[in-house]
Amino acid sequence: MKTFQRKSRSKTAAVLLAVALLLASVFLVAACSADTAEDTAPAASDTDDVALSGMLTIEGSDTMVNLAQAWAEQFMDENPEVMLTIRGGGSGAGIASLINGTVDFALASRDVKEDEFAEGAAVGVDIVENTVANDGIGVIVNPAVGITDISTDDLGKIYRGEISDWSQLGGTPGSIVLLGRDTASGTYEFFLEAVVGKDNEYAQTMRNLQSNQAIVDEVRNNPAAIGYVGMGYIVDDVTVLAIDGVAATAEAVNDGSYGLARKLLMNSDGTPTGLAKAFLDWVQGAQGQSIVVDEGFVPIN
Amino acid sequence: MTRTPTKTRPARSKEVVTFSSYCSKRARRIEAIVRSFTAICCVGVVVLVVFLLGYLFIRGVGSLSWSFIFDAPKDRMTAGGIWPAIVGTLWLIGLVSAFALPVGIATGIYLAEIAGQSRPVRMLRIAIANMAGVPSVVYGLFGYAAFSLALGFGKSLLAMGLTLSCVTLPVVITATEEALRQIPKEQRQAAMALGCTRARTLGKIVLPTALPGIITGAILGLSRAAAETAPILFTGVAFFAPVATNVTQPSMALPYHLYIMATQPTTPAPHIVWGTALVLTGMLSITNAGIATWRSYKRRKLQW
Repeated sequence: MKTFQRKSRSKTAAVLLAVALLLASVFLVAACSADTAEDTAPAASDTDDVALSGMLTIEGSDTMVNLAQAWAEQFMDENPEVMLTIRGGGSGAGIASLINGTVDFALASRDVKEDEFAEGAAVGVDIVENTVANDGIGVIVNPAVGITDISTDDLGKIYRGEISDWSQLGGTPGSIVLLGRDTASGTYEFFLEAVVGKDNEYAQTMRNLQSNQAIVDEVRNNPAAIGYVGMGYIVDDVTVLAIDGVAATAEAVNDGSYGLARKLLMNSDGTPTGLAKAFLDWVQGAQGQSIVVDEGFVPIN
Repeated sequence: MTRTPTKTRPARSKEVVTFSSYCSKRARRIEAIVRSFTAICCVGVVVLVVFLLGYLFIRGVGSLSWSFIFDAPKDRMTAGGIWPAIVGTLWLIGLVSAFALPVGIATGIYLAEIAGQSRPVRMLRIAIANMAGVPSVVYGLFGYAAFSLALGFGKSLLAMGLTLSCVTLPVVITATEEALRQIPKEQRQAAMALGCTRARTLGKIVLPTALPGIITGAILGLSRAAAETAPILFTGVAFFAPVATNVTQPSMALPYHLYIMATQPTTPAPHIVWGTALVLTGMLSITNAGIATWRSYKRRKLQW
């Protein structure tokens, strides 16, 4: 009796284990095939109603989340039936989610790369770049450094590690503390291409910080620090360096004289329709652009 | 421990006296060191906890108000409240309760009461122990691949809830199994001797007695789920979103809100950071304390 019971129990358990393994492997196969054959279109609402309602998910550049939140707050105030969700994570993360079909818009503070277009095309996602604002990158130093102007050339040398002491540029002697963004950041990539040089690398000594705010905080507290942030993040108690003699102002970004400027994009899968189109039009229109100004960025036109 | 206590003196004091009277000076010194070291460690932990909670309270209590709790964030996270994040966390707790608790408790019952000790069962146990050791960020990745992409739930409360359920399951299973194992064999035997079937013994005797332990495990699991950031990071937590009204929506959640508030916004708003930390800790502490009280009340009633 006892042995019989034991045997039958162990049999049940064995069956259970087998079923579990089977389920797990089915799951695995499903997950793997989903990587290659993702054909569920993103949940872009195609309602063409006049009264706007529905949900949009927006993800990407950390430089742009606060701007996007400000848009979302006001847009939802005006259209109570609309739900907008904003996530950060970086330009790359947003574009990856757009390709995976989990978001409606990908915020990006850099241009979409060729291989991202290709990756999207491979799964039927046609990435369309929509410019929603302009941004200048401000190079900030602690006031104790004692310089106010720098050439793009010297800036490149600093970030490649070829200049390592402020005295080499006529500043207060002290070894330079290099601050940069993490690799998921669009600002990281933009600065790399515009200043460090596409085929070069950032100096090993650069500290990769998680956010614009972290860089501002560190520059504020560290007397030898230099960092780069979106112009919207610049505060009064740090020194903003003029680049090649041009101060980082909205006018200089707009007329193209400031070297470290870029477009801020809100990328979509194909040309937006329905609610997505309505939101994009609103953002690019007068109301959206006045918020762009409020946030310290430069409006498009 | 072979010494039998005399009737005139309590056993414990006698042991201590004997120990110091016939042990060498060196042994006594070692004992003194070990005692004071363990005592210092214990005091240190208490100080740390009191300091942490006290600091959190002092920094956070100023920002608490009805509008902080019941309003949405405003003006780029510099004003307003955290209501969407609170609701998001409550949604997640609800979803985890719905998914992980029934499955986890049933699995625990199976392992403790039905499965026995055969080889496949031991393998199941090892698998569950391994589940508990998987880092939560890996669950996040798994949840993103499985629930968000393969099953097509996207970035939503549902995907987050299922991912957190996976994190919680091993805690619930282990706690249930342990609670059931602590029920004395005599209780089962007594029930059987009175003619109860296995099922009746389980339902009427074993489960009610083990309930406090099971609930404790469940609450610990839910607390962990509510406090996790990594798994939801992949599967649908939002920087900013209105109050979620159904499970297909992404949502804010308290732990992630705390993280982004401390690292992201243009203009830092420390009062929101500390207020959020206090609300999250408070929510979990109150639940834990409530459950602990209920359990000790139950325990007092059930003595064996």
